[in-house]
Formats: sequence, C-alpha cells, structure tokens
Amino acid sequence: MSANGPTLASVPAAHAPIRGRGTVVSNVVDGHGRKLRLRVEGWPGATPGQFVMVGAGPESSVPRRDPLLPRPMAVYRDLAATGPASEGAREVELLYRIVGRGTTLLSEASEGDSVSIVGPLGEGFPVEAAPGPALLAGGGTGIASLYELARALAAKGRETVVMLGARGGLDLIGREDFAALASEGVELVCATEDGSVGVEGFVTVPLRERLAKAGAGATVFAVGPTPMMRACADLAAEFGAGCLVSLENPMACGFGVCLGCAAPRAEGGFSLVCKAGPVFDAREIAWDGLP
Amino acid sequence: MSAASVDERVELAGIPLRNAVLTASGTFGYGTEFAPFLDLEKIGGFVAKSLTLEPRFGNPPPRIGETPSGMLNAISIENVGVKAFLEEKLPALPAGVVVIASAFGTAPEQYAELASRVSPHPRIAGIEINASCPHVKAGGIEFGQDPTLLGELVRTVRAATEGPLLVKLSPNVTRIADMAKVCEDEGADGISLINAVQAMDVDVRKRRPVLSNILGGLSGPAIRPIALRMVWQAAQAVSIPICGIGGIASAEDAVKFLLCGASAVQVGTLNYLDPGAAERIARGIAQYAADQGFSRVADLTGALETG
Repeated sequence: MSANGPTLASVPAAHAPIRGRGTVVSNVVDGHGRKLRLRVEGWPGATPGQFVMVGAGPESSVPRRDPLLPRPMAVYRDLAATGPASEGAREVELLYRIVGRGTTLLSEASEGDSVSIVGPLGEGFPVEAAPGPALLAGGGTGIASLYELARALAAKGRETVVMLGARGGLDLIGREDFAALASEGVELVCATEDGSVGVEGFVTVPLRERLAKAGAGATVFAVGPTPMMRACADLAAEFGAGCLVSLENPMACGFGVCLGCAAPRAEGGFSLVCKAGPVFDAREIAWDGLP
Repeated sequence: MSAASVDERVELAGIPLRNAVLTASGTFGYGTEFAPFLDLEKIGGFVAKSLTLEPRFGNPPPRIGETPSGMLNAISIENVGVKAFLEEKLPALPAGVVVIASAFGTAPEQYAELASRVSPHPRIAGIEINASCPHVKAGGIEFGQDPTLLGELVRTVRAATEGPLLVKLSPNVTRIADMAKVCEDEGADGISLINAVQAMDVDVRKRRPVLSNILGGLSGPAIRPIALRMVWQAAQAVSIPICGIGGIASAEDAVKFLLCGASAVQVGTLNYLDPGAAERIARGIAQYAADQGFSRVADLTGALETG
C-alpha cells in the first residue's frame, strides 16, 4: 500500500509549503485568460511543475467562506520581487481562465488586494530522470506548468521545444512570455484549431513531427485537458519516447488529507495527484478512470 | 483578565486536553501533514483518519464537489489500515500530541478488534467510533441511524476497551437525542457530533451526479446551524461530555458549540483551506473567555442563557 495509498509521501524539505497571503501586484487580461501576479512574503520558491492552492477571490477583513475551497493552480513564473521594500520577497505568477464563481471573483481582485495562498505543493517534474530532447506540449491553462520547466531544461543545455495548442490565437495564454524564452534557447511552436496562429490543428500535429525527428530518445512533457494529455501520451508511446503528464484533478486541500484528487493507477488503486503528483509517468495512469 | 491567564484546559471523555480544540477525523490525515502549518502541540489534539482492520482504497473520482459555503465528499474511508497506523504513522508524531483514533467497520466485532488493538497503545488517548460515515454502502450509516444497532455497537466496543470511548454520531436521523442516550446507556464516555450531512449535487452540463458515488456528505460552514441545533438537543438528553463538530471556521463559531453544551470542539473542513486554523481558533477561544470574564474555558460549557 505504501507506494500507492494515502501515504505520507516525503516532500523535499527544500520547498516546505507555507500558508500565507499573496498581495496582488497585477491581475491582467492575456488573450482569453488572465495572469495574476502575487507578492508572497516568505515564499520558499517552487520547482517546475509544483502548484499552489489559491483562495477563490480576494479576502476582505472577513475571511472568504463562499466559495469555500481554494483552487489548485500551477506556478507559472517564480520571480524575485521588484520595487521598494522588496528585499527577500518573491512574486508568484499564475494563469487562469474565468470558468466559474471562484475564478470570476479572482478576476475582480485588484492591485493591493489580499489572496490566500498555500504552497508550493506536490512534486515537480523530475528533469534529471527524463532524458533527451524535451518536447513540451501544453493546452489550456495547463501551459503554466511548462514555463519554468522550459527555462530549467534549456539552462541545462537540453534541446527544448514548447508546443502550445489552443482553439484560436487568443486562447494561447502566455504566448508572448514563451516567445521571449527564445533568448534562453527555448523554441516555441503554436498550433491552433482555427489556424489563426501557427500550425493548423491540435498540438499533436507539431508533436508528431518532432517525435518523428527525435525518436525514442526524447521525453514528452504534456500538460492540459485530459484528452489532450492522453493523445500526447499515446503519441509518445507510438515513437517509444517517455511521457510525463501533470494532472489537474479537483482537490480541496492540496497537501494529502482531503483525498479528493485521487487518480486511478494502471496497476489498480489510486494515487493522490497532490502528493504523488501532479506529475506522473503517463503509463502509470488508468486514463479511462479520470474524471 | 488577559487571555494568557485563562485556564484553557478541558476534559473530554476522561481525556485531559490542553485546550478545547481538536481536529476532525478525515480532515487532518495522520497529523504530520499539518506540521508545516501549525504547532501540533498547541491544539487540544486530533482525531486521525478512520481506520479499518485492513488497508482500504476509496471511491473512484470524482470524490469531491463544492457547494455554497461547503463541500461534498464521498471518499469512502480510504486509509492505511490499523497496522501501518500503529507502526508508521503514530511514531512519526511529536510526543506531546494528543491522538484519538477513529474506528470504522462493517460489523461490531471489527470495531471491537480495532479498539482492542489500538486502545492499549501508549500514544492513543482514546477511540472515536465512526458510526456515521454517510457515504459507505455497507457500514457506518446503519449503525448510526438505528438505535438498536448503535446500542449493540457501543456495547460490543465497550466490552473490548477500558480506554476513553467516544461515539461520533450521524446527523442523518430524526431524533439525535435518542441516539445520544443510547450511547450514554451503553457506556460511552462521550459523543462527537455531527458527521457530514447526507447530500448530493448535479452537474447539469453532463446530466450526471457530481460524485461518482451519487450521494456524499456535506460539510463546512453550510451545516453549522444544523450541527449546533443537534449538539444543543444532545446536551439536553445526556450528561456525558460532548464534542461539537460542524462547519467551525472561527473562535466565535467554536464558542457557540461550547455554550450549547459541548466540552470541546473539532475543526473539520476548514483545515483544508486554512491548515493553521485550529491553533488560531484555540487562541481565540481563550481571548473570548478573557473578554467575557471567564477564568476557565471549561466554564463556557453549557453557559447559554435561554431564560
């Protein structure tokens, strides 16, 4: 049971989570999504792929009780704070889309507002254990997990390609940020279903092309809606390449106690996305059982 | 009077507690998960995730859903089993932490075996019978909803342990006072209430229930007034100590339960979103006592004026 049950998976001590407040630095529209930047006192830093639990909207002097639960969001950019009195402070940037009450309220947070935050949580991408050319495929707000990952891979001299897929150009949240990583050696390829930006079609179109070149030695890092990740995993398997995915199951706590985020394992039983994940080897997941 | 001079100690079912705030089973894991967020030795104690004799996996996803000021869950007692709990989880906790084990089974004999294995452990302060888990098809719900079954369960477990014995009651009954009385008559040392309220929700886009299990348990601030009413009714019916549970999110909420007759409280769902809450609530209760001129938190129990 210890490998796949509700265990106390060991969390690397370097990034022990904090429970704190994020002060809104900016909360801006980016295409059909939004970028929320929070200044967090005592933020310990995150490894690529880790996430935070963010309150569903800003807090007043009275804590928010409706919506009650925080939302899991991947750390998009992990930045040193700038400006006056910023010594030691860190800024955490998140990507989101307005999909319900929580994200609607979050979209109303303005500069100086306070948002509850718990993190960093989960285990990030095992960069060292995933060899070869790095093919990063992202869709939806899941692309947030790929930004710091791409930087980390490129910094190690790895061939790094980010492939972002979306319905149309405005759905490619963070596109300009990713494009700017060219200076760090990260190549960006976009795919849109309407063909308005980049290749026409799903993200699997450029992924297939790159896998055909890189072959079995490559590693695919896929983050996005479940069908998209599954398609990327199938494609990786077709070429004999490894595939890591980051799951986005709903969760109430993010640190292993609500047991709400359990993902079914291929070998039977469940793994907690918040503790064992959110990053998994695609072959470990029983895809049919995901919500 | 200052909060620092208030005597925060209370006693629950014969268990001495440093303060009146425990955390509820199923919302606090095995304790160590909260070490980054609060000082485990500054809360009254915690009730560990319900145990079964063997390790157990829960329901397939989706297991949770959000509702107004609350959440639904149908986890189904996923746990590491009694052996791993005693050998791995308990030793990982700091020495000063008060641990109450929670027992779950499908037959009274299973509860009794759990109690006899867990109670004698020096780190276990007491046992709480989970007679009320509202989302397991075969199990708790029957015991907690039928006075005869509940009486048989408490009697069987009572015979298996001399240690402090609490019974956690289901709110999914017509008359909570009857259930409380059965527990008292059969020798329980205290009762904990309420567990989650049976509920459901629907995803209209998918035309499916939100939970894979269809039915689940509603918890969080949404159920607090129901919980308070039931604690009040139980307190009128029995003289054994009561632990109040249900949507507590602040010291003020906790005080309401004490005034209605609870000797201690458990913070539950709030631990998910605010993992440091229990420690803060304990401090807040002491401040309330000081502000109201009570030198002992224990004197708040039942101090409601109804005349």
